[in-house]
Amino acid sequence: MVRQIKQKPMNWIERLYIFEAFRGLWTTLKHALRGLLRYETLPTVPYPEIKPEISRTYRAKHRLMLRPDGTPRCVACGMCATACPAHCIFLEAAPAEDGRIEKRVLRFDIDHLVCVFCGLCVEACPVDALRMDTCDTSYVFRKREDFVTPMYQLMSWDPKDYPQDDLQSQMAPGGTKNKQALDAWGLKVN
Amino acid sequence: MPKLPTANSPKVAIFVDDKEVLVPGDTNLLEALKTVGIETPHICYHPYLPVSGNCRQCLVEQEGPRGRMLIIACFTPVTPGMKIYTPASSARVKNARQATSEFMLVNHPLDCPICDKAGECSLQENYMESAHQSRLRPEVGKQYHGNPDHTFVDSKGQVRGGKRVALGPRVTLDEERCVQCDRCVRFMRHVAKDEQLQLASRGDHTYITTFPGEKLDHEYDLCVTDICPVGALTANHFRFQQRTWLLSRTPSISMDDSLGANIWIDHNNGKIWRIMPRCNPEVNRSWLSNTSRLAYMGFTENRLASGDLNIVSDLLKHAKKVALVAGGACTLEDLAALKMLKDYLGDRASLFGGTLRPVLEADGISKSGDPLANRAGFKALGIPDNNLNDLMKHAADYDVLLTVHNDLFGDDEGAMILKKIPNRVILSAFNDETSKDATLVCGVNHWSEVTGSMINSLNILQKLSPAPTCPDAQLKPAYEVLSTLAGNPLTSAIAALQKVQEFVPALKPYSYENIRSTGVKLDGVLL
Repeated sequence: MVRQIKQKPMNWIERLYIFEAFRGLWTTLKHALRGLLRYETLPTVPYPEIKPEISRTYRAKHRLMLRPDGTPRCVACGMCATACPAHCIFLEAAPAEDGRIEKRVLRFDIDHLVCVFCGLCVEACPVDALRMDTCDTSYVFRKREDFVTPMYQLMSWDPKDYPQDDLQSQMAPGGTKNKQALDAWGLKVN
Repeated sequence: MPKLPTANSPKVAIFVDDKEVLVPGDTNLLEALKTVGIETPHICYHPYLPVSGNCRQCLVEQEGPRGRMLIIACFTPVTPGMKIYTPASSARVKNARQATSEFMLVNHPLDCPICDKAGECSLQENYMESAHQSRLRPEVGKQYHGNPDHTFVDSKGQVRGGKRVALGPRVTLDEERCVQCDRCVRFMRHVAKDEQLQLASRGDHTYITTFPGEKLDHEYDLCVTDICPVGALTANHFRFQQRTWLLSRTPSISMDDSLGANIWIDHNNGKIWRIMPRCNPEVNRSWLSNTSRLAYMGFTENRLASGDLNIVSDLLKHAKKVALVAGGACTLEDLAALKMLKDYLGDRASLFGGTLRPVLEADGISKSGDPLANRAGFKALGIPDNNLNDLMKHAADYDVLLTVHNDLFGDDEGAMILKKIPNRVILSAFNDETSKDATLVCGVNHWSEVTGSMINSLNILQKLSPAPTCPDAQLKPAYEVLSTLAGNPLTSAIAALQKVQEFVPALKPYSYENIRSTGVKLDGVLL
């Protein structure tokens, strides 16, 4: 459907343009003065000094979830690598030493230069081992190779940075529910 | 073994879903329905194993004197005029199949993410094809979470078997995943003829096992991992290596035996991950020996780099007497190029061929026992296939020895007498014993990396396809190197095949396009 918008016809003062130009400059000047004098009321964020607030649901850098004993939850099934449209996940599997677990991940690299942050890997993961809720959006490296994030970096996150109601994060080592989870882990086996 | 339909099967009319169709009359219903494009899901049935009929997955309905009855398609012979109903028309068949499938899945762990069979599993296929819905709640059956809940307790509260039972040096059994189809038992009993596996216990407690104190250890034991319809039997060499759907498959021929077993080379990222048998009813059916199957591990190791051909051709130019020796893995193309070289050198060169490895008995499964894979091809091209002893007797007469794909010194110590020949030029893929003792080596492509053709011991012309797994892009196929030495480079396999056809006019009708994947039987043609 086409909608015609009628513009208000300009009067003769406006049609002179000279006064309108000064009116526009006044707006600019107003904001410049506000930036100088009342900095905190500006709607923009002065980026590197102050980081914007990012929602937990934003698809940021990945992290690998941990079992209570600190090993990655990943079972190396390769669903993420299969779902990945950019083919940026590289993983290798090995038999687990822990008798309770069948398969463990040996290498898990994500090339963040290739990644398109679609989140399909997170959805594909059958064991909730991969999440994109780190709120980390800055990628600054000097070399291309550094953008390939290896497993130990994906695993090095602190449960303190995650909310208390995120049980799975809190069950990881260092989390508030870790002790409990470890007990349950030990008990259930025997 | 079930009788499979052939081209000569008598055609009989049966009614499928009230429509009259012509099917082969000397086979079972499952195969007959397959010929008219109706796939029947099955777990325990395998075309090259005796019918056991225990999975009840292939149910169809048959009109009988007492009304319509559910029967299993795999064990029902085709009779003229029989009335069959498939899920296309019968809700009862559909429900019955779904229920069977559900019954099988109720005690089957939900291991698919970590199961090596996922992607080629019969249970998955049947579920996706016929059922695709389940009345089971997700908590029934094991949900794999990679945590202590891992020990699978079934809906009756029983712990179901071990997760990794080492059945033998090459095969691992997962008792939880086993559906007791007894394909592996039948394979060992009727094909391998060495009954090493058994079903023990009864009913719900049935499990696969070996005899007490014994291990599953047989030349064909890895075939049980192929025929296992679920991920219960897995091969140790492929365990957790790759997900099956990430592999690309190249159809080729195993060039370590003159039966020329048909194989799939499964590879990705330039690496071969496994070799699987490729079904060819006339050659190796669905079987492959461990030797051929595990050979891939050495394909990229210990390889030679490509050599400088100018030195070789200079050497050949000034040679007085040249011995050209062809070996086992030579394709027809390589042999034709060798013949070109012989023609180029004229009287100064003489052709030799054969192998110093012992020729064994055929085992009747996938090996003829003859390590000279292309022996029939040698005969077709008129290259001697068994005169290495002549060469060793008259070694002193020659001043240049050129071998192609023939590890003389590694195969037999007696060949060391050939060291009398001052110049030894070795065209080989590997840095083997012969190459180590050579004066000049020239690396060439391995047979898994070339397009080519071979004639097997049953006179079947088969073609090899190249897997993109060559470790060195500089390497060239042996036919290209040989023809370059002969002054007329054949830069493509097609050109080389044309050369073969020049030498053997009877092969004229064949090209890489019209040699079928299962080969062409050269009956009554030449040779």
